Amino acid sequence: MFGFKRNNLADSSVNNDMLSKQRRYDSLVRALHADLFRYAYWLCGDKHIAEDITQETFLRAWRSLESLKDDKAAKAWLITILRRENARRFERKQFDYSDVEQSELADNVSLSTEDNMEQYLVRRQIARLEIEYREPLILQVIGGFSGEEIADILQLNRNTVMTRLFRARNQLKELLDQEHTRGRSNG
Amino acid sequence: MDELKFRREAYENPNNHDDDFLSAMRSSDERQAFVKDLKRLDSQIESALKVDVPEGLEAKLLLNQQLHQHQVQRRKTGFTMALVASVAFVAGISFTLLRLGPVDLGQHALAHVYHEDMALISHDDVSFNTINTQLASLGTLANARFTEQPGQVLYSTYCDFQGVKSIHLVMQGAQGKVTLFIVPVEDRMILDEAFADNRYQGMGFAADNAYMLLVGEHHDDLNNIKEEIKQSFI
Repeated sequence: MFGFKRNNLADSSVNNDMLSKQRRYDSLVRALHADLFRYAYWLCGDKHIAEDITQETFLRAWRSLESLKDDKAAKAWLITILRRENARRFERKQFDYSDVEQSELADNVSLSTEDNMEQYLVRRQIARLEIEYREPLILQVIGGFSGEEIADILQLNRNTVMTRLFRARNQLKELLDQEHTRGRSNG
Repeated sequence: MDELKFRREAYENPNNHDDDFLSAMRSSDERQAFVKDLKRLDSQIESALKVDVPEGLEAKLLLNQQLHQHQVQRRKTGFTMALVASVAFVAGISFTLLRLGPVDLGQHALAHVYHEDMALISHDDVSFNTINTQLASLGTLANARFTEQPGQVLYSTYCDFQGVKSIHLVMQGAQGKVTLFIVPVEDRMILDEAFADNRYQGMGFAADNAYMLLVGEHHDDLNNIKEEIKQSFI
């Protein structure tokens, strides 16, 4: 009878664990799914693939949620998982979209609202950036990570990261200026 | 901070809040305009990076996890069920084997006498015809019967000898009561010629296709009744 009672207690504490894990997961999804999806999108350039990667990432996160000790590090942790998932995509199978030129990806960016011509141009130019320049820029602008944190996530040294950030902005600025002068001379 | 370093840092992070950077920026209007320009670029980049998130992605992520959890739980339940089934199976097998194990009739007879102490108090007078009816209903002993009354029978009932249906009789001896068990012969039974504990003595013998077990307090009674049964039981 005591055994039974103890069993019950153990059961309920397991349930409590489950419940708090569930809550933790729910809040992670709520707070970070948009950033993660966007990051995935800018990594692979396709909304559907980005959605798949995001799903895989969160499922993996759920399975190993215990290993995330500090909730403040959740974003960097999830991004690390996501980058691994993205890399796995190329290991698994040589999908045809892996051959697609980065510059062509820009055409996938839909021109949804009319006032977004400017945004459309910027998106196209971001998609044209080399992935090694694009990634630190996204981490800095969307992720809000510092140079050190980006270096940590990408496993580069900080100087390399800063150089890449410099080049990323430099290239973007040049490309956009070109675009504008071209637009102006066309108009 | 020289111009080159300043521009470089501005490109690296226009929202830099280092004191060096800020004071360098404030040192000239041109530099401030430069940084402002870069910040404008950054906000452009930011809004460009914020592509629309597919509708219901959040719900999908939660659902996906729930389904996954559900599957894991089902797998776990399946495993538990298999475990429980195996335990039940093993228990069933060993119980059956136990019942098929060898039976020491002597010890069992003694235990039975102690267990059914009601039998020794009883004072019925059972006729041998009643006993014959009981014998006939035992299947394996259908042809065995008493030809005459084997002395006074005080008690008669069916009983269970490790799964074998048997007959339990109490008879009146010269000095005390004697319990008689008539057990159909089975291979796994071990018959002791004589057995005893501190209180009772017992003897066993085979008659036709039945084992006879006598348990009583006095050895003479046992012998007498054994003779009586040998004469009347065929």
